[in-house]
Amino acid sequence: MAIPTPATTAAAAGSSAPSSRTLTDHRRMRPRRWFTELGWRHVVGVVAVVYAAFPLVYVLSASLSENGTLTGSNTLFADVSGANYAELGTTMFWTWMANTLVIAVATSVGTVLMGAAAAYAFSRFRFAGRRIGLTALLIVQMFPQMLAFVAIFLLLLGLGNVVPVLGLNSKIALIAVYLGGALGVNTFLMYGFFNTVPRELDEAAKIDGATHSQVYWTIILRLVAPILAVVALLSFIATFGEFIIARIVLTSESNWTLAVGLYGWVSSLREANWGLFTAGAVISALPVLALFLYLQKYIVGGLTAGSVKG
Amino acid sequence: MSSPQVTSAATTAGSSGDDVPPRRRGRTSRPDASHARSYGPGFIAKLVLMAVVDALGVYVVWSAWTQDSYGILAVSLALLVAANWVYFTRRALALKYILPGLGFLLVFQIFVVAYTGYVAFTNYGTGHNGTKDQAVEALLVQNERRVEGSPSLPLTVVEDGGTLGFAVVGEDGAVTAGTAEQPLSAQDDATVQDGRATEVPGYAVVDREQILERQDEVTDLRVPVSDDPEDGSIRTTDARTGYVYTSVLEYDAASDTITDTSTGVTYTPNDDGQFEAADGSTLAVGWRVPVGFDNFVTAFSDGRYAQPFLKILVWTFVFAIGSVVTTFLLGLFLAIVFNDTRLRGRRVYRTLMILPYAVPGFLAALLWSGLLNTRFGYVNQVLLGGAEIPWLTDPFLAKLSVLAVNLWLGFPYMFLICTGALQSLPSDVMEAARIDGAGRWRTWRSITLPLLLVATAPLLISSFAFNFNNFTLIYMLTGGGPRFADASVPLGHTDILISMVYSISGVDGSATKDFGLASALSIVIFVIVGGISALAFRSTRKFEEIN
Amino acid sequence: MRRSILLAAALTTTLALGACSSGGSGDETTDEPSGESSSTASGGSLTIWVDETRQDAVTDAAQSFEDETGTAVDVVLKNFDEIRADFLAQVPTGEGPDITVGAHDWLGELTTNGVVAPLELGDTAAGFEDVSLAAFTQDGQVYGLPYAIENIALIRNTALADEAPATWDDAIAAGEAAGTKFPILVQSDGDKGDPYTHYPFQTSFGAPVFEQNEDGSYTSELAMGGPEGQAYAEWLGEQGAAGNLSQDTTYDIAVEAFKNGESPFIVGGPWMIESFEGLDLSIDPVPAAGDQPAQPFVGVQGFYLSAESDDAIVANDFLVNYMSTEDAQVALYEAGGRPPALTAAADTAAADDPIVAGFREVGADAVPMPSIPEMASVWSFWGVTEAAIVNGADPVSSWDKMIEDIQSAMDA
Repeated sequence: MAIPTPATTAAAAGSSAPSSRTLTDHRRMRPRRWFTELGWRHVVGVVAVVYAAFPLVYVLSASLSENGTLTGSNTLFADVSGANYAELGTTMFWTWMANTLVIAVATSVGTVLMGAAAAYAFSRFRFAGRRIGLTALLIVQMFPQMLAFVAIFLLLLGLGNVVPVLGLNSKIALIAVYLGGALGVNTFLMYGFFNTVPRELDEAAKIDGATHSQVYWTIILRLVAPILAVVALLSFIATFGEFIIARIVLTSESNWTLAVGLYGWVSSLREANWGLFTAGAVISALPVLALFLYLQKYIVGGLTAGSVKG
Repeated sequence: MSSPQVTSAATTAGSSGDDVPPRRRGRTSRPDASHARSYGPGFIAKLVLMAVVDALGVYVVWSAWTQDSYGILAVSLALLVAANWVYFTRRALALKYILPGLGFLLVFQIFVVAYTGYVAFTNYGTGHNGTKDQAVEALLVQNERRVEGSPSLPLTVVEDGGTLGFAVVGEDGAVTAGTAEQPLSAQDDATVQDGRATEVPGYAVVDREQILERQDEVTDLRVPVSDDPEDGSIRTTDARTGYVYTSVLEYDAASDTITDTSTGVTYTPNDDGQFEAADGSTLAVGWRVPVGFDNFVTAFSDGRYAQPFLKILVWTFVFAIGSVVTTFLLGLFLAIVFNDTRLRGRRVYRTLMILPYAVPGFLAALLWSGLLNTRFGYVNQVLLGGAEIPWLTDPFLAKLSVLAVNLWLGFPYMFLICTGALQSLPSDVMEAARIDGAGRWRTWRSITLPLLLVATAPLLISSFAFNFNNFTLIYMLTGGGPRFADASVPLGHTDILISMVYSISGVDGSATKDFGLASALSIVIFVIVGGISALAFRSTRKFEEIN
Repeated sequence: MRRSILLAAALTTTLALGACSSGGSGDETTDEPSGESSSTASGGSLTIWVDETRQDAVTDAAQSFEDETGTAVDVVLKNFDEIRADFLAQVPTGEGPDITVGAHDWLGELTTNGVVAPLELGDTAAGFEDVSLAAFTQDGQVYGLPYAIENIALIRNTALADEAPATWDDAIAAGEAAGTKFPILVQSDGDKGDPYTHYPFQTSFGAPVFEQNEDGSYTSELAMGGPEGQAYAEWLGEQGAAGNLSQDTTYDIAVEAFKNGESPFIVGGPWMIESFEGLDLSIDPVPAAGDQPAQPFVGVQGFYLSAESDDAIVANDFLVNYMSTEDAQVALYEAGGRPPALTAAADTAAADDPIVAGFREVGADAVPMPSIPEMASVWSFWGVTEAAIVNGADPVSSWDKMIEDIQSAMDA
């Protein structure tokens, strides 16, 4: 699927069959058609990437400057040094990174498992209060969380007295708090997707003697892999960046997540350490990007390769 | 697309009959696989798992019992019973799938909601921060005065048959000792070493270890200097040095009143959680009390907010709806553009496009407020060649900027959602449309978009609700500014309802904090957002049915 | 579903166990943010909240305290801007810290909520700078152990201006003579303004924020209205029109510009100095714009004692007998760069560093930032109005409206 260079396309232009729509044929497209079909998409892509990334160039520039401010200067990359990245090693940055990865992975796995199960129930079973239940799940998440900082503290204080691992300063407790939000908008996302999987498949499997759990695990989940990947990613990113609840729950520095730690470096603008912060922010964006890069094949490759479209 | 409604009608009978005996009989007639399924690895796994869950549950229940945490006891017991019922009954099929998530939801989300609901009916806030006991204690300790010019007295904590006392060395070197009931009396036979009494006949010297175990007793202890209360009493804060104090306030537990000894005024507790004198004056430190619907009444009675309220309400809707529409359209557009498998490098494009989503949100707001600075910002200075456009300080442009920044922050989310949702579009329908000769635009408008909307409508609604309460963005980017020139409250053109709530209740630091009021107002907002969303859901259901 | 639960549980347990073990030592056991004395051994235990700039210094002092008394001290790192709210919320539960670091202007709110206990400094009180104790005093009682005093001053790049300007006009003239991009840098923050940095100019017109009692404490009576305040407002308008003041000069921009030699003067505090490495600096009084001396605000940093501490004796002992020593105060200075509040320590610090000496000298004429709760209402109108006037709003009417609005917010 190489992008045709102008020369090769021009050479091949004469023999191209206008009616052909197959993938293999596009290398012989005319330049104009290449542009209307694909080329403009590259233009959009470049523009979109520039739009998405240009403000972050500031961040990158600050992370490479030894002693700078975030937005004080429009002269980018005036001095370039890796000092800030090296200095991260003297902080607890990598501990925070490890904590964050553990918490975010656990939360996103838990969210996918619980959310998908709930979505399956809502999609496949008919029971009293189904519609209201679905709506209620979504609406509960809209509650303004302005007192969460007191409520969560009190809750974990009480829980911690009974079950120490669910008390303050426990990563498990934080994961549990995050999982409290597992049923919500993500359930809805999956619910919509589950509905697109034809019921005839379940029926057929059930006639063959499969139980509902076998249908769920062996048929449905495979077919909805794209949305599971999307939800996993959304949950991972949300957990990765969350610091309001994390800073209440995790009280000791060695337990902090990246968001809490990074925020601490700049929470007071006067004492802000932008160099360290931006270097940390650049590195902490990498796992998210890597995860997305990895999950893309599930997101876009899932259904088309599946058996549904037979 | 097969309509869910039709198929659901078809399956309803089937699912409800799923687990009733006839079906089992049906299975037993096919012995080849059924037993393996019923008592196979899956069933054993369930047993093991439930055993673990039950063991943990019993531990929690027992532990809650020993700790006297009856709330936790009740909730965990209920969850435990529910779990066992759900997983061992043949009914409650749906609950088998929903319960785990629901359990977490109930414990961790509902608690916050319930707590906020409770606070809404109290006067929790500055001046009403703790319990009555704490308030009394704070008032008493805050109103003790060290007798002016009195010396620091080297102090030893002593004990007389379990009753704590102090032995102090006076400026003249003489040792006196006493307890709470026994005013200081001279101890001529006491031994003094390094200026501190080390042995006092009739008393046992308490060693440091014991002092630390009885810290509260020691700090609460007041040893009267003489029989005359006017002379004050000795107290210590570090068990090393004593000082003579006189109390201005005195608490009488029997009558539950506080008396100011210097003026003779008596304060009695009032319904607002404060000690109040006959003339209406109150003592500063109060405590938390239930106030009924007062907070809800206050919320709607402050006239200063009447005028800006309407503007803010309108802008809140514009902001919330505008944010959803712009981010969705851009995200959808990009998702469609990159949904072409022939496009090389689309994985890289896609990955780089979610960059705004991968950096901390507060960083983005700080960054953009710098980029949009009127005189020195990158946008004006570099991109626009030195223009001085007041992006964040002109009422209209500030609103535009807020929407633009939110677009930047929010489009990757919509892009992800749409990319995922596009995969679920039935390609046969698209193919059919194409064969029918429908143009690209028509296919998109009349097939792709409606189908996508069905799938994503709930997310759009919830995104609307999220932005409706998107305090962080507003607070970090503009702080609500530019201010209304004609209003007398600290509110501005980009303030939304939730930031107005923060301002009214002082939670943002602009006035004395009133969490009770804040909770009441946030419940009001929740009712508004929840109501709108519930209505919107109703209409999406109709929408779904039409398709 | 059977397997779904199994898998879910297996995964979550594995991850949860991972979560436990990866955090390093002492996850759940040692770091509970409480001072449960009942469960600990003889020495009691202390929990202290600090922010990053004081973490090391407090940890050192805690270590020596621990060695000498056997009391376990747990130093918990918090973000400075969260300490106040968390302290207020957590102390009443009995689970808050025993001691927290804090700023003196929190005092009003902390006492009104009954979450801080008074301290008896005894004879050590004499060793502290008067202004630092005054800042932590309310109704005759001291509520905090001060450790640092900070105030702003005029920072001068001696390569661009060789003498300290006496008045604002002198400074502008010198700045223009230097031919730099900005005659003087006074930071603001968009339309939020920055009344803290502009306050010396306001006082030079004789318009302090509140009336003061004889002992220097503030009453809740606004004093910045009237002709003095209006004169200051008009001055703001003029300087805004002339381009000497601008709401667009944010902290970042001001610091960056001064660092690059784009102005001989910047109004700022000791926290900026680190950014100006390599420049030859002099610390001078802020030039007066009106006919009275320009007095900046003084902020005092210190340690508060929780009203609900179970280990009050140990905590008092730690504060009064360990944190008030010269060694501890110098260590805090070295860690955070803020001039010490203990006179002896300040002398030591000033002797080593002319910059510290300069700020200290300016601070001697400064006034404490008000800590009364009414100040919250002032902040929320003050800066915005100043920024609007600098940006061209009518000075007198805007200022008068601000005074009215503040008054009605205080009365509400």
